[in-house]
Amino acid sequence: MSDRRLRDWLTEPQPIERLALLRIAIPLSVLGFLSSRLLHADHWLGPAGFHVPDLGGDWRQPLYVAPMSAGAAWAVATAIAVSGLCLSAGLATQPAAATFALLVGYTTLADRLEAFTVNKLAPVLTLALFLAPSGARYGVDAWWRRKRDSHSPRPTEVEGGVIRFFQLFLCIMYSASGIAKARGDWRTHQVLWTHLHDEYQTQIAWLIMGALPGWLWWALQWLVLVFEVGAPLWFALPRTRSLALIIGLGMHMMIGLMFGPVVWFALLMGSILYACYGPLPVLANGAARARERGNRQDARDARG
Amino acid sequence: MARWVAVATARPWAPLWLRRAAAVAGAIYLLAIWLDAAGSRLVDSLLPLPLRFFTQVAELFPKAATDAIEWRVRGWRCDAGQFDELDVRPLFPIRRDDKENQFARAMFFYHRERPVLEALDAYLVAAQNRAHPDQRIGGVMLLSLRVPIPPIGEPGPRQHWMPIDEYPASVARKYWYTTAPLLRQDRCQGAP
Repeated sequence: MSDRRLRDWLTEPQPIERLALLRIAIPLSVLGFLSSRLLHADHWLGPAGFHVPDLGGDWRQPLYVAPMSAGAAWAVATAIAVSGLCLSAGLATQPAAATFALLVGYTTLADRLEAFTVNKLAPVLTLALFLAPSGARYGVDAWWRRKRDSHSPRPTEVEGGVIRFFQLFLCIMYSASGIAKARGDWRTHQVLWTHLHDEYQTQIAWLIMGALPGWLWWALQWLVLVFEVGAPLWFALPRTRSLALIIGLGMHMMIGLMFGPVVWFALLMGSILYACYGPLPVLANGAARARERGNRQDARDARG
Repeated sequence: MARWVAVATARPWAPLWLRRAAAVAGAIYLLAIWLDAAGSRLVDSLLPLPLRFFTQVAELFPKAATDAIEWRVRGWRCDAGQFDELDVRPLFPIRRDDKENQFARAMFFYHRERPVLEALDAYLVAAQNRAHPDQRIGGVMLLSLRVPIPPIGEPGPRQHWMPIDEYPASVARKYWYTTAPLLRQDRCQGAP
């Protein structure tokens, strides 16, 4: 791909609904994950809970952060909850996104024991929302702007960079995860089955495990592996994109139903997947029709 | 009849130089995620640990589990002079019933790290004696149970917490840490 084509692809305007959906869903999924930590902030960040001592550069402890006072812990937890909700509602969008990203990043480093994929991803994903005009539509900021100036245009599109970042993030994440699985046991051992036998097991998982024949677990495992390893291809090709979207959403739904607390990771990834590649037929129809009208006008101008 | 809507592109608030810098940083971030999961050590040598930590996100369940691991505690009862199981879930209220709680995570990461196990010992003794001054303990045994995973197609009973003694002998117990007898004695003789 030439530089120009790459730049055109990266900057091609995208329906603003995709960005709005990301802005709504990402902080809510992260807050859902963090909710059990926020409710016990004194144990999570403060002196009431257990904290790993300073191990002096141990690879499992990326940075030693001493526990804070109980009051500070509750203040941080409150600020995370408020900024996350504000970001989702599109209220003071940029300050809320910056605050949320910084505080979630800090707490993820402060407690290695409670660092999981969701809160490790959250700071970067939220920074992307911070840099984009995420509050331009479908939020309190946008409503307030229209209320002050009813003639101001309603944005229908957004510069493509931020949406392309999220689309590439998904493809890289799936592909990297698939490669790690292929390098691990997924080609030779039944992995899915073995991970459903600990405290992550839900009632639904247990029922499904009793209902599905053994061979189907292998079929599901290979489906996940092929989907993930080939994700960049499946999402790049228009012919396979819809099927990839369905398989991806199905995979996240199964993870959410069967792996207990992993439901927040499933919601986060599933909502990013839908926002990035979903058809958004209702929300985005305005932008699509406007583009069509522009094309017709161009054609008339060319004839005239 | 279709209603036409004017195209309007949301104006970015960030200056061009910042968006360009963010694009470069974003590309490096995505590349680091991919390289880390693909087994490259390049990221380890280039990024400091606190930054690299945020790129280690894609290795999700790559290995099959051989057994389901449960982490447990036996407490040295000062009144009875013996070890009995201590249900530590109330002492770790964040996700107390699954393996995302701080005790299970600490044991998962650090079951061979004596300084962490000693810190856990001190925390458990202090927290238990504060919560139950009438059931004081002087020390702990930290152990794991290896619960065999049933063959594929035979899910077995629904997973739930149960006391150590209710597990059959086929479930292996491995002891990782025991508080020294002198320390147990000192703590039991100390002021409540």
